[in-house]
Amino acid sequence: MRTMRWQQGRQASLATEIVLILISLLFLYPVFYLFMASLKRPEDFYNPLKLPSYLYVRHYAKAFSQIDVFQGFLNTLAVCIGSLFCIVIVASMAGYAIARQQNRGFQLLFYFLLSGMIIPVQTNMFPLFRLGVDLHLIDTRTFLILLYTAGTIPFATFLYTGFMKSVPREVEESASIDGCGKFRLFWWIVFPLLLPATGTVVITNIFGFWNDLITPLLYLKDPAKMTLMPQIVQFKANNQSIDYGPIFAMCSISTLPLLLLFVFTQKYMLRGLIVGSVKG
Amino acid sequence: MNMNRKGLLAGIAFAAPATILFSVFVAYPFLQSIYYSFTQWDSIRPPVYTGLENYKELFKDSKMIQAFNNTLKMTIFGIVVQNPLALLLAVLLNRKFRTKAFLRTVFYMPVVVSLVVTSVVWGNILQYDGLVNYLLTQLGLESAVMDWLGNINTVFPTIILLTQWQALGYCAVIYLAGLQSIPQELYEASTIDGASGFRQFRYITFPLLMPVVTIVLFLTIVGGLKLFDLPYVMTNGGPGSASYTMTLAIYVAAFGNNTYGYATAAGIVLMIFIMIVTFLQLHFTRKQEVEA
Repeated sequence: MRTMRWQQGRQASLATEIVLILISLLFLYPVFYLFMASLKRPEDFYNPLKLPSYLYVRHYAKAFSQIDVFQGFLNTLAVCIGSLFCIVIVASMAGYAIARQQNRGFQLLFYFLLSGMIIPVQTNMFPLFRLGVDLHLIDTRTFLILLYTAGTIPFATFLYTGFMKSVPREVEESASIDGCGKFRLFWWIVFPLLLPATGTVVITNIFGFWNDLITPLLYLKDPAKMTLMPQIVQFKANNQSIDYGPIFAMCSISTLPLLLLFVFTQKYMLRGLIVGSVKG
Repeated sequence: MNMNRKGLLAGIAFAAPATILFSVFVAYPFLQSIYYSFTQWDSIRPPVYTGLENYKELFKDSKMIQAFNNTLKMTIFGIVVQNPLALLLAVLLNRKFRTKAFLRTVFYMPVVVSLVVTSVVWGNILQYDGLVNYLLTQLGLESAVMDWLGNINTVFPTIILLTQWQALGYCAVIYLAGLQSIPQELYEASTIDGASGFRQFRYITFPLLMPVVTIVLFLTIVGGLKLFDLPYVMTNGGPGSASYTMTLAIYVAAFGNNTYGYATAAGIVLMIFIMIVTFLQLHFTRKQEVEA
């Protein structure tokens, strides 16, 4: 029997390793540069290779005083968590129904939902704007959550439907003999078994939701509701003078949580990504 | 009520939330887009049907053509350069060495960094008195010093390279997963048969990796076609229209000029373009796939 192990290829030569390390610096350095520059004194800012002589935090103070970074952070977090919560609920339920129902209508529904994968946001942006106005949802965080959820339904439903194949039917049959209702059956028995798929949905979308620029740019206006990415862009646009320090501070604040999340969960994260891409 | 019927009703109830959300926020606006693309619409007065006028206009608009060309270049670069590079990186990262786990993390790191932040950081590094030109000067290459994002000839190639910086790790990790799923025995058997490293790659790795190639190509193509954040934040499409992409051109047509019908038509063209490219790509790569 073949066990799942992290297969090892051939031994790499020392030269290969050194070349890889050198190339990796090109990937690592700009991230390092971001945090380093946000802590540099203004007079050192244009001395690119100079390290900060001490931790200069005034760029952060300035960013916080000029724009409500804390509110932006909370907004981004709320939209991100709200969207992930909604997408997991609606897509897992839909995937379950599509995978288990014999009726041909559900097959058609599957293709209908999949068709959404190729529609770019830009194609729909004006009808959505009008829809937002008509539904009184424009300039609300709820609208963002609804749009992210709806936009992710094709991919997430596809993933859950595929994953349902690995969930044995016997589990459900025995539970329903015990008189378990359909909804309880799903939430108590089936949904926990879908955890790997849920993990993949969360990790493949969390960065996209957090880092998205165009949706809040189009549908939010009120500064009190703004998320971090458009905040950075607007802050940069308002600061036509070349005061990069506070902008770098804002960029650091918005990047750090994701970076920490990635570094501490990367084992699961990369595995989840792999489940999503290879099986999907 | 019999069991079957009850089961069907439950199924409908389960599928309903996703179906409703998708219909209201994706499918219905899309159908509206198709209609609006045949109209003249400034969002103040009601849309006026003008037939194919918007589409004819698109092919005369020099900014739109520039945007289309740039988007095409981006797609071709993704297919011809990004994919082989990501695969090469994955093959190397699949070998045994001490810093492997660390390097895998580092190469993936930029994926986590948003395109907005990428634009800010690299915009700073690439500006005239930024790090790149500083290093070039230190190395005695003053002749190579230039305004990377302010020069018509360098701006878009630079943006393309930045998308590589951001996305290469993602593609490499997916390829790495594909490499891991190839049974080790195949290599052992072929080594006994005396096959060289390159022949192993050509006749074992590559054919078995084809499904993953399909996925990565699909992701790079769609990602490239939708590129918006980098040119929007770094250059706003400039200088002139040298770094326009389709999505940016659509955005500007709408919010700069209030020509919503026209912008929607451009959106439809972009979608048709995505459909054609991905269809060709799937058709081509699926043919190469074999079963392990």
